[in-house]
Amino acid sequence: MDSGLLATCMAALDLLFSGDAELWNIIWVSFRVSITAILLSIVPAVAVGFMLAMVDFPGRWMVIALFNALMAVPTVVVGLTLYLLLSRSGPFGELQLLFSQPAMIIGQVLLCVPVLVCMSHSAFQGLDRRAWETARTLGAHCARAAITMVCEARFALLAAVLASFSRIISEVGCSMMVGGNILSYTRNIPTAIALETSKGEFAQGVALGLVLLILALVLNFTLASVRGKGQLV
Amino acid sequence: MSLELNVDNLVKSFGPRKLFHIDQLRVGEGESLHLSGENGSGKTTLMKILAGLEKPCSGRVLVTPKARRWWSDRIHPQVIYLHQTPYIFNGNVRDNVAYGLRLRSYSREETRIKVQQALVWSRLEHLADQPAHSLSGGEKQRLALARAWILSPSLLFLDEPTANLDKQSVGTVEELVTQLLDKGTTVMVSSHQKNAVTDLCGRRLHLENLALQELSPELTSAPE
Repeated sequence: MDSGLLATCMAALDLLFSGDAELWNIIWVSFRVSITAILLSIVPAVAVGFMLAMVDFPGRWMVIALFNALMAVPTVVVGLTLYLLLSRSGPFGELQLLFSQPAMIIGQVLLCVPVLVCMSHSAFQGLDRRAWETARTLGAHCARAAITMVCEARFALLAAVLASFSRIISEVGCSMMVGGNILSYTRNIPTAIALETSKGEFAQGVALGLVLLILALVLNFTLASVRGKGQLV
Repeated sequence: MSLELNVDNLVKSFGPRKLFHIDQLRVGEGESLHLSGENGSGKTTLMKILAGLEKPCSGRVLVTPKARRWWSDRIHPQVIYLHQTPYIFNGNVRDNVAYGLRLRSYSREETRIKVQQALVWSRLEHLADQPAHSLSGGEKQRLALARAWILSPSLLFLDEPTANLDKQSVGTVEELVTQLLDKGTTVMVSSHQKNAVTDLCGRRLHLENLALQELSPELTSAPE
């Protein structure tokens, strides 16, 4: 291995394990913003996915197509739109949310809701309608039957949550535009990696990259372990 | 509780295709009915409408005495429909049997005792802690019956309960249905063929040419 690269990796590990305050603050901001965004999104997005799978209404396919299209919108476009809405001259400028964590949370909610809606819609669509009918005929009211459906689709829904979380914890564009990359306040892992790399300071970037890599492994191993052997029933 | 089911001018269509038009049907307390008809004649749809799981295009289904709350779209809590191929929830056999009880206000101890009784009744006691998905077709059918039996239904719709079952399983289902009838449960069984379970039924209904006909009891050889 090249000695420069090895030195960078060693410096990155040193930063991580020495408890560097700046680095751990960046990690904390990242997790705080993304976990808040996902917690705010889960219930309404899964409810929308459930309704799209269960309730037939005029224009349903258009709503599904719209959410599918929103999944593919680049994060910078979401960031730009939100920037225009939250900037001083924008309709929500008075709220003074630009370059704040709440603005980053709103942006990440907008990014993860389409993923959650589409994946939960697919999860419910993959279930058997007999599950709903059996729950109802055995006495479950609509809300209780919906909870039963969630339990039946729990692995697919967990995969949806993890996929959404992966999308928002690693996105740069929106966080950079509406967060402003302010140290100790809105600087998160992806924006810090982008900044440090542009400055030629690779150690912190590599350390933060390692955190994301470990997170990806933990999330995927968690999903794999709760799914069991992944066999058909 | 004894229930009476009354049907008036029931019409069901799928798009331009009319499935059936039933002028009138009355099902009284403790009756047993065999609903026959060719594949695609609408037996399953009719039973689901009667059980309140599907909506008709027009007409009405009335279950008396009424127990329907103003906010509920369920036809009656004592009316249960069982699918041709039962849906089995995730979890073990015991969890599946207890599903309906857990929706009602039973204590944990009451639930445990009733589940045990249902498992004994359906001869699934030895499989109580097995994953329910691992059961055979006949065992799943018994599980579905136990899930209904535990709720003491007044009106039970059985959709092709013996389809794809071997002779022994048919015999077991027949015994369980006999016990339900002895308890006074009104049972409607759909099947396009006569079998040991349909032979238990006192009334025969035949769905053909968009209409429901009542066959006389003497016509025991009709329709196969």
